[in-house]
Amino acid sequence: MSKTPDVQHDEHRPNVALYVKVFGALMVLTLVTVAISKVHLPRTQAIGLGLFVASVKAFLVGALFMHLWGENKLIHRALWLTVGCAAILVIPMIDFIMVAKNVTSPPDVAAQHPGGHSESVNETHKLDAAPEAPKAEKAAKKAKGGH
Amino acid sequence: MSQPLNPAAFMNNADTHSGVTNAKLGVWLFLASEIMLFATLFTSYIVLRMGATSWPWGWDVLNVPLATLNTVILITSSVTIVMAYAKAYDKDKGGFQKWMAATILLSLGFLVVKGFEYGHEFALGIGPHTSVFYAIYFTMTGLHGIHILGGIALNGGLLYMSSVEEHWTHPLFLGRVEGAGLYWHFVDIVWIFLFPALYLL
Repeated sequence: MSKTPDVQHDEHRPNVALYVKVFGALMVLTLVTVAISKVHLPRTQAIGLGLFVASVKAFLVGALFMHLWGENKLIHRALWLTVGCAAILVIPMIDFIMVAKNVTSPPDVAAQHPGGHSESVNETHKLDAAPEAPKAEKAAKKAKGGH
Repeated sequence: MSQPLNPAAFMNNADTHSGVTNAKLGVWLFLASEIMLFATLFTSYIVLRMGATSWPWGWDVLNVPLATLNTVILITSSVTIVMAYAKAYDKDKGGFQKWMAATILLSLGFLVVKGFEYGHEFALGIGPHTSVFYAIYFTMTGLHGIHILGGIALNGGLLYMSSVEEHWTHPLFLGRVEGAGLYWHFVDIVWIFLFPALYLL
């Protein structure tokens, strides 16, 4: 059966022995990931280490199973462009992460924005209290014996 | 006057003059869009997690043994599909069908295990409405599950096509198997990050 030149030079020759080795490495790294969570490291270290191991696993799958190792440069460029676009999502997040621990607790928010926060709280209370005001007045009149 | 387009000629000469077939380039561009889809979800996960006053440890609220079993299942299926590609490369139809069937069975196994996990959570009254953690957990694992379903349909289609001589001997069949494999490995990579992010860290 004839193949077009295009198809012929675009196929990756399988390497079964390598696939089996990668499979073993992925299983070991999965156990390492679970072990990291069992050690109860400080959360930042656990996250860093866990994501590092996950990245190694993803590299093995991408480079050797998906044949990115030795793949055409056009594919590499398309993927780098994608990574660049994904990085744009991260840029505004960095600022959020830097300040997140200072803005998630209401007292901290109040400390950072005393005027704005107290106003918003008062406004909320006013809105909440508004429907209750006529009821309170009626109750007061009733207590006094009025109608 | 321009020549009429011959679809067959176009398909058999699908050269982009870059050494990559149009089909493979298309698959990779599709995967690039998928990377962006999951990147937005992972970004949302990080923002929600950083913004929360408290965040549960995954192993306290989720079933880690079942998720570990699913990780093993998915990694094994990545090997079985690459073995199916190797057999298709060698023109070994029986071998291809055996490894592709194994891939599909493992994929179904993943969904069954996930179904048990979801079922247990729903039985406890836990759903996306329960908390921000569960909202992002169900969104990400649910979307991943839909991708598994897509992979089963794709691989099932290839398994059927291999039984039809016309498709099996088609010069582009190996490229189709490679494309399906690329997609399946991508689904595996997504789970490789989902597993520690949601269950362990």
